[in-house]
Amino acid sequence: MNRQLLLVALSAFAWSCSNKSDPAADKANFTRIYDNNKFEASYFPIDITQTPDGGYLMLGGRRLDNSNFSGVYLMKVDELGAFVSEKEVDSNNIDPIGPILTANGKYYFFCMSSVALQSQLIEMDANGEITQTINVGGTYPAAAAADNGSFLLLSYDNVNKQSVISLVSPSGSVSGSKGFSIGQGDAVEAPIINHFIRNGRQFPFQVGKALSGQYFFNGFFNYTFSLVFTDLTSAAPLGVVQGQQAEGGLSQVLPLTGTTYATARFSFGDNYFIPAAALNSSGISSSVDLGGNSFPELTANAPVKILVTTINAREIILYGSNTHSKQIALYGYNKTSGEFLGSKYIGFSNPFEIAGMATTADGGLAVCGTTYVAGRFPRICLFKFSREELGKVFK
Amino acid sequence: MRKALLFVFLLGCALAHAQSLKKKGGLKSKATKQDIFLQKQWWLGFKAGVNLSEAVPVQRYTVLTPTNYPGTQADKAYDGFRKTGSQATLEITFQYKNFSFSTQPTYRQSRFTYSNQFQWTSTNDANASLDQQYDFEQKVNYADLPLIIKYEIGSNTVRPYVQVGIFYSLLIDARQTVRISGTDKASGGTNPYSSEPVIVGTKDLFANYWGLMAGGGVSYHLGNVKLVLDVSYHKGMSNIANTKNRFSNDRLSGIGDVQDDLKLNNVVISAGVLFPMRFLNSNFKSIDR
Repeated sequence: MNRQLLLVALSAFAWSCSNKSDPAADKANFTRIYDNNKFEASYFPIDITQTPDGGYLMLGGRRLDNSNFSGVYLMKVDELGAFVSEKEVDSNNIDPIGPILTANGKYYFFCMSSVALQSQLIEMDANGEITQTINVGGTYPAAAAADNGSFLLLSYDNVNKQSVISLVSPSGSVSGSKGFSIGQGDAVEAPIINHFIRNGRQFPFQVGKALSGQYFFNGFFNYTFSLVFTDLTSAAPLGVVQGQQAEGGLSQVLPLTGTTYATARFSFGDNYFIPAAALNSSGISSSVDLGGNSFPELTANAPVKILVTTINAREIILYGSNTHSKQIALYGYNKTSGEFLGSKYIGFSNPFEIAGMATTADGGLAVCGTTYVAGRFPRICLFKFSREELGKVFK
Repeated sequence: MRKALLFVFLLGCALAHAQSLKKKGGLKSKATKQDIFLQKQWWLGFKAGVNLSEAVPVQRYTVLTPTNYPGTQADKAYDGFRKTGSQATLEITFQYKNFSFSTQPTYRQSRFTYSNQFQWTSTNDANASLDQQYDFEQKVNYADLPLIIKYEIGSNTVRPYVQVGIFYSLLIDARQTVRISGTDKASGGTNPYSSEPVIVGTKDLFANYWGLMAGGGVSYHLGNVKLVLDVSYHKGMSNIANTKNRFSNDRLSGIGDVQDDLKLNNVVISAGVLFPMRFLNSNFKSIDR
C-alpha cells in the first residue's frame, strides 16, 4: 500500500513538473509576422476575421510594380496563426477596402477594377478562395459595412464630384444610393485621389448605420471631411458633424446607445478619444466641440480602430492606434462609465502599425497590422491575446 | 590455464580482504559498537565550479512565419555546450560504509545560445540582398535541489566514486541578450552592420523543471577533510519554457523571438571541500574509520 502511494506521489510530482506543451495556450496567445523573402515584396493588412474552423482570414493589399494603386492580397492562417495559404489576386482588381463582410456563410469585400475604376464585390469562402466577382458600378470604393444581410458602400464619384453612399445586396444589386457633393475644384479632390493611390494621407473613410436607422458616412462633403447622416432619400443630409476641411474630423465612430457613440477625432495632427460622445444626427455641428482626451503619443492624424468587447464580465470599448514610438497602442474604457481602464503597447524594435481588430470565439482579441521586418520590408503581423491576458491589462 | 587464472583471482581477493581487515585493526578484531558507529559519517561542505549547457528543442515555435519559403528556415539553431556557466553548492552528505546519501542545494547559472538567419533577395537583381542574423544568449539562474546516492570505490586516501540522482530546479531569474547583425548588399555595395545588444528580462518565459543526473568523481582525504572533484551530467526531463507566457514578452516578440519548448542538459564540474561532522578530535582522522 505504501509503495503504491509512493508511486502515485512520484507520478503526480513528475506530472506537475512536466510543463508540457499546451495547445490551448498556444491558440490563446501568439504573435506572428508573415515573411516573404522577396526584396521587393510589400504587403499590408486591411482587416481580419475569424473563420468557423478557428483560423483567421485576412484581407490585405500588396505593392504593384506597374501601378500607383495597391493590389489585392488574401491570407489564411490556422488557429495557431500558422500560415495556411495566400493569394495574390490578379491586378485587374485593385485597392481593396475593409472590412471583410459576411452574408449567408460567405465572405465578401469591395475593391476596384483597374481600368474602369469601378466598384467590384468579391465573394470568397472561408479559405480565401474567390468564388465570384461582381461589378457593382460606381467608382472609387472607399468604405463598406454590413447591414442586415446587405452591405453599405461609400464610394467617390469622380465625375460628379460626390461622396456616394449605396445599399448593395450580396448579389451586387444596388437598392438605394445617394450622392453628396464634395465641392467644386481640383483642390478638394486631390486629397481623395492621393488617398486611393496611397500617395498621401490615408483618410478614415467610414460608412455605417446608426441605431436610429439612419445611415451615416465619414467622408468629404461640402469641402470638408465630415460625418454625414442620411436616409438615402433626402437630397440634403439629415445632419452633419463637420470637420475642418481635410485637417480635422472624426477618425472613427461606433454607435453605442441612442445618439451616443464611441468616437475619436483628429484636428491638425492631434488626436482625441471620446468614449461616449453625443453626436447630433440632425442639423450642423462641429467635431471640434466634442473635446475629448488628448493623446500626444499618437502619430499625427493617427488611424483609429474601435470595437466593443467583454472583458472581466464588463463591456469595454477598445481603441487601437499607432504611436510615435512605432508601436500599436490599445486603450480600454468602461462602456458604461467611460472610465479609462488601461493600455497595452504592442511591438518593439521594428515599426508596427495597426490595421484591424476582431474579437475571437474564445473571448480574446486578434489585432493585425503592418510591421517592417529588418526595418524595411512591409509585412503582415498578427497578435492574438487571450481573454485572461486582456483581463490583466484592462482591470 | 583456467585453474591458474582462478588461483590468481582467489589470491588477489584474499590479499585485498586481508588489507581491508588490517586497516580496521587486525585480522582477529571483531566488529564492535564503536566500529559500527565509526562506519557512519555526516559531511558538510562547499563546492563550486563551471557548467556547460545544451538546450534541446522539443517543439519549435516561431514568430517570423515564412509564406514563400520552407518554415524550417525560420527555426532556431542551438549551440550545444558552448557557453560556460557557474554554480555554487552546499553539500550535506550522510555516509554509511561506501554508500552516501547526499543533498546538494546549488545556485546555478547556465548559459546557452541560439541564432537564426534570414535573407531577402531581389527578384530583379540576384546580387542585391539583405542578410540578417539574430544571435541570442540566454542566461537562466536556477536553485537545484538534488537527491544523490554515491558509491565510493575502495578505502584509500584517494577514492573514486560514482553517483546518480534526481533533481528539481527552481527558477530564480533569466535574462536574454539579443544581437542583430547583417550584410546589406542592396544599397550600392556590401555593407556589414550590427546593432547594440538588447538585454531583456525573461524570467516570465521560463519555468521550474526536474531531471536526472549521473556522474562520478574522486575524493582526496586530507587530514580530517575531504577534497572532492566531481563531474556529472544533468539531463532535463521536463520543459523549461513557460508555455502560458510564451508570447508575453512584447520586446522579444517584436524582434521576432519566441521560446521553443526546451529541455536543458548540463555537464557540471565542481570542486570543493567537505568537513566531517562527527568525532572530530586531534587523535582521530575521519579516514581512520
